[in-house]
Amino acid sequence: MKKGFYLRLALDGMRKNRRLYLPYLLTCAGMVMMFYILYSLAYSPAVRNMRGGSTMAMILILGTVVMAIFALLFLLYTNSFLARRRNREFGLYNILGMNKGNLGRILLWETLLSALVSLLAGLACGLLFAKLAELFLAHMAGETVGYALTVEPRSILAAVLFFGVIFAVLLIVSLARVGISKPLDLLKSEAAGEKPPRANWILALLGLLILGAAYWLAVSIEAPLTALTVFFIAVVMVILATYLLFIAGSVALCKLLQKNKSYYYRSDHFVSVSSMTFRMKRNGAGLASICILATMVLVMLATTSCLYFGGENALRGECPYDVSFSLYCDHPEDCGPEAPERISELAHTLSGGREKDLTVYTLSGVSGLFRDGVLEMDGYSRFADLTSSASVLEKIRTVYLTPLSEYNRLMGTDYALEDGEALVWSSKKAYAYETLTFKGCEPIRIRGSVKDLPFRVPASETLVTMYCLIVPDWTARAAELHDFTAGLEDPLIKSDTLQLCSFDLPGVPDEEQIRITEEIVQSALDEQREAGLSFSTMSYKTRAANRTDFFSMYGSLFFLGIVLSIVFVAAAALIIYYKQLSEGYEDQRRFGIMQKVGMTVKEIKSAVNAQVLTVFFAPLLLAGLHLAFAFPFLHKIVRLFGVLNTPLLILTSVICFLAFALFYVFVYRSTARTYVAIVSAGEEGR
Amino acid sequence: MSILEVRDLRKVYTSRFGTQQVEALRRVNFSVEQGEYVAVMGESGSGKTTLLNLLAALDKPTSGTVLLDGVDTASLPEKDVAAFRRDHLGFVFQEFNLLDTFTLEDNIYLPLVLAGKSHKEMAERLAPLARELGIDGLLKKYPYEVSGGQKQRAAAARALITEPRILLADEPTGALDSRSTDELLSLFAQVNRRGQTIVMVTHSVKAASHATRVLFIRDGEVYHQLYRGKDTNEQLYQKISDTLTVLATGGEVR
Repeated sequence: MKKGFYLRLALDGMRKNRRLYLPYLLTCAGMVMMFYILYSLAYSPAVRNMRGGSTMAMILILGTVVMAIFALLFLLYTNSFLARRRNREFGLYNILGMNKGNLGRILLWETLLSALVSLLAGLACGLLFAKLAELFLAHMAGETVGYALTVEPRSILAAVLFFGVIFAVLLIVSLARVGISKPLDLLKSEAAGEKPPRANWILALLGLLILGAAYWLAVSIEAPLTALTVFFIAVVMVILATYLLFIAGSVALCKLLQKNKSYYYRSDHFVSVSSMTFRMKRNGAGLASICILATMVLVMLATTSCLYFGGENALRGECPYDVSFSLYCDHPEDCGPEAPERISELAHTLSGGREKDLTVYTLSGVSGLFRDGVLEMDGYSRFADLTSSASVLEKIRTVYLTPLSEYNRLMGTDYALEDGEALVWSSKKAYAYETLTFKGCEPIRIRGSVKDLPFRVPASETLVTMYCLIVPDWTARAAELHDFTAGLEDPLIKSDTLQLCSFDLPGVPDEEQIRITEEIVQSALDEQREAGLSFSTMSYKTRAANRTDFFSMYGSLFFLGIVLSIVFVAAAALIIYYKQLSEGYEDQRRFGIMQKVGMTVKEIKSAVNAQVLTVFFAPLLLAGLHLAFAFPFLHKIVRLFGVLNTPLLILTSVICFLAFALFYVFVYRSTARTYVAIVSAGEEGR
Repeated sequence: MSILEVRDLRKVYTSRFGTQQVEALRRVNFSVEQGEYVAVMGESGSGKTTLLNLLAALDKPTSGTVLLDGVDTASLPEKDVAAFRRDHLGFVFQEFNLLDTFTLEDNIYLPLVLAGKSHKEMAERLAPLARELGIDGLLKKYPYEVSGGQKQRAAAARALITEPRILLADEPTGALDSRSTDELLSLFAQVNRRGQTIVMVTHSVKAASHATRVLFIRDGEVYHQLYRGKDTNEQLYQKISDTLTVLATGGEVR
C-alpha cells in the first residue's frame, strides 16, 4: 500500500510535467537506441565479414565511445534541468510533512520508471532499426548483407548495463541535490529576485581574443598531421570562447546598446534590449552548447560526406591505373626487360585482350632534404614521416630517375641527351637550378624540363614535391645512387629500383578484375620459381580491391557522421525545446505587465519575437562562422585522405549548413508553438 | 462634462463551454468629475476588479458604456486601445507590476518610450516627479533592490509621468506595510490636490478614507455612495466603517 503510494506520486508528478518528461524520455530512448545500434554493428559478424570489416568495426567502436560519453553528459544536463523545474513540487511535499527519505523514494521510483520506459522503447526501436542501419552501412561500403533480423543479446546487455549505470548516476545526483537543499529553497519560485546581469567586460574581451586567436591558429595550420595537437588546442579555445561570448559577451553587448541613449530609448529597442540582457544571462550556457553541437554536426557531416562522395576521385588519384604491378630489382643492373614483358603478356592473355593503356616503365628513386639543387639523403630519416613540421615538409623532395629511351618510346619523342645530363619533370613549381646533385654522387646537369610523364603518378607521391629526372645513362646513374645509399649507415635510406607494369581494364567488373589480377600473380610466381624470372619482390595494386577498402572506411565514417549528427541534433533540439519552455514561463508574467502599461499585443509579440529569434539564431550563425574558419583545416584533412576536390568540400559544407539551418528552423518553429501556448495560457489565466 | 461617465454597465462572464453564466456587474452608473478622488469599495468578489478592467478598457462590457472624456472606450478598435490607455490612463497595481528587467528609471520611462518621446523630454519630466515621490535617489536601482513602498512609488511615477486624465489604482496599498501605506496615501492626496483625478479600488477603509467620495459595490451593483463633504479623514473613516457594518449585516442604508 505504502509502496504504491510513492509509485503513484512519481507517476503523477511525471504525468503533470509531461511537457518536460515526454521529450526527456524520448531523448533517453533515442540515446539507448543509437547506443544499441552502434554497439551491435561494431560487434556484428556481418560487418566483421565485410571487406575492411575490421576498420569499420574500429570506427564504429570509436563512435560508440563518443556516443556513450555524450549520452552521460547530456542526460546529466537534462536531468538537472528537470530537477530545477520540480523543486517547487518537492518543496511542497516537504512542507506537507515528507522527509527527505520520502522524497528520495519518489525520486527512486521516477528514475526506475524513466529507466524502464527508455530502455524498453530504446531497445525495441534499436532492434528494429539496427537492421536498417546495417543495410544502410553495407550499402555505403558497397557490400550486401542478408535481410534476416538478428537479436544481439550481447548488445542488449551492454545497453542495459551502460544505461543502468547512467540512471544510477542520475539518481545519485538528484538525491544529493535534494539532500543538500532546504525546504524553503525548494519552495521558492525560480523567478524570485533575479539579480540584474552585470557586464563582465574582461570575460567578454577575453572571449573575443581567444576566438580570434583560435581562428588564427586554425587558419594558419599548414601540415595537418603535425598540427593535429594545435588544432585540438584551437578546438578547445573555440569552445571556451563560445561559452565566454555567449555568457559574458552577449550581456556586455546589450549593456553597450543600453548606454547609447538615443538607440536604447526607442519603442522598438527599449523592451527588446533590456529583456535580452536577462535572457542572455539565463541562456548563455545553453546557447553556447547548441552552438558547439551545431558546429560538431557541421564539421562531421561536411568532412565525412566529402570523403564519401569524393572517395571515387581519391581512389583514382591513389590508384591511377585499374591494375598496377611493381617488380622490385635488387640492383639496377639486374633490371632486365624480361619480367615486365612477361607480366604484360600474362595480362593480355588472362584478361582476354581487354587491357588498355598498358604502360611499362622503370624508376629508381629516393627521398631527401633538398637545398639549393642538392638532395641530402643522410640523416633524412629523422624527418621522414608525415608528422614533420610544415617547414621541414617544404624541404623534402622525392626524386626519381627514369630512362630516356623509355621516355622517348612511350611519348613518341626523340630527345637526345649526353651522359650526365637530364630533363626534369616537377609535380609542383618548375625546377629552378642548373644541376641536381644526390649528395655523394656526381651532379646531373639539367638541360630542360618536360610537362608530361608517360605514366600516371599516384596522388600520395605528390604530397611532397616530386621530381622525375629523365636520364640517358639510367643504369649507371641508378647504380651509383643505389651503391651510395646502400653504403650509408641508415637502413631506412635506400634507393628503390622498380619496374612498373600498369594497365586499365575498362568495362570489366570489380570482382573479375581482382580475379584476373590474382591469376596473373599466381602465374608470375609459378614462372619465377620455375623459369627464374628476374625480380626480387613483386607487389600489385588493383583499384577494385582498393575501392572496397576505401568505401568500407569512408562509408563507415560517413555512416558514423550521420548517426552522431542525428544524436547531436536531437540533443540540440531538446535544449532548444527546454529553453522555449523556460522562456515561456518567464515571459508569461511580463507579457501581462506590458499589456497593462499600454503595449499592444502586437507590439509585445514583435518585441518578444525579435529577442527569441536573435537568441535562437545567434548559435546557428556562430556555428556557421566556426565552420568557415575550420574550413582550411578540414580541407587539409580531406586532402590527406586523398580527396583533393576543393569545390566538393565547399559544396558539402554549404549543403550541410543549409540542411542544418532548415532543420533548425523547423525545430524552432515547432517548439515555438509550445512557447506561444504557455504565454497565451497566462493571458487567459488573468 | 464629467471626465468619466459610466452608464448602465453590465458584465457577464460565461464559462468556457457556455454552461454557466456569472453576472459580475449590473446596472452600474456613476460619473467622475475632473479633480475628484474616488474610492470604490467592496468585498472580494464584489466586482471591483471587473469594474476597473472595464474602466481601463482591458476588458469589454457586455452592455452599457464607459465614456472617458466623452469617448466610448469599447468602440475603439483594438489597435488604438493600447495607445488610448497609454495616453489617457495611468495605472497603479497591488503587485506593482514593475518589469524586473528594467531599472526603476527605465520602468518609469516605459510608457513615454512607447509614445515615442525623446530621452531629453523624458528626463525633464521625470526629475520633478521623482523628487515629489521621493525616489530620486533610487532611479538606477532594479526593482528587486528596493522595498515594496519604494516599488509602489516608482509604479506611481510610471503612472503619472504621462500626465494621465485619470489615475486608476487597484488595491495600491494591498501589498504594503502600514508606514508605506500612509506614505503612499498622502502622496495620492497630494497629487490629487494639484488636480489629478484618481479612481482607486480598495477594500482598505484607511485607503478609502483619503478619498473625496466613496462608492460601495455589492454583488455587482453600486450600492451606496459617501461624500467627504467637510469631514476629516478620521470622520470619513468612521462613516465608511459604519456603512460597511451595515453592508455586512445585510441591512439597507439610507
